[in-house]
Amino acid sequence: MFIYEAAFAAALVISAFLALHIDETIYAIISFGATLTLLSGLYFFMNAPFAAVFQIVVAVGAVAVFFLAGEMLTPKKGSPQKMRDKIIGLLIASVLAVLPIISDLHVKAFSKSYDLSFASALWEFRALDVIAQSIVILMLALGIVMVLRGKGGK
Amino acid sequence: MEYIILSLVLLAIGIYGLVTKRNLLKVLMSIELIAAAASMNFVVFSFLVGDQLGQVFFILALSVDTAMTAVVIALVLIAYREHGILDVWELSKLKES
Repeated sequence: MFIYEAAFAAALVISAFLALHIDETIYAIISFGATLTLLSGLYFFMNAPFAAVFQIVVAVGAVAVFFLAGEMLTPKKGSPQKMRDKIIGLLIASVLAVLPIISDLHVKAFSKSYDLSFASALWEFRALDVIAQSIVILMLALGIVMVLRGKGGK
Repeated sequence: MEYIILSLVLLAIGIYGLVTKRNLLKVLMSIELIAAAASMNFVVFSFLVGDQLGQVFFILALSVDTAMTAVVIALVLIAYREHGILDVWELSKLKES
């Protein structure tokens, strides 16, 4: 890992832990969005720009949905989380973040490299999967809209 | 190859959230983290092998994950609308009554 990859990995682990540890839903969602965005950055470092772009698109959608759901469903009352609790969470996250940075497994990469582009891998090997999955996702979106509209009408 | 350790750490954090948190939104975030940790391995091994097929599988996996999130969010909204609670334990108590 290079230094910037290590920084991204550390920030990723810390934001992931804080997303679950912080009690305030809005801050937790912001931290979760940061996690997904940092993950997208790591994909970019791994020469996977398509995966990075896809991940960031999903991150934007997920954060928007979580933000709306969190804003709608979270009660405004409740005692605030103690600062000591937050600092302990940050320390635990920092300790966890050190693990992937200092570890070095020395696993050799495969020497054989396949000459297969992303487009050919997508359309020559998994074309049926892609088409079938897009149909399933379309049906799913329609189903959710119908369920929510049906519930709202009652 | 520290990315595998990173993936394991993310998985551990997700399991921690799944076990300790009672809020449905936090549980969903934990599941998202577990899914992200699992699908990260596709990209890591794709990078190591030098084959783009792993990225294709990653995109397929992420689509399924996003669809699952949409379904769960809809279920959470319906559960909140019907019962007014977001606590997993409280929801499980409804099964007994």
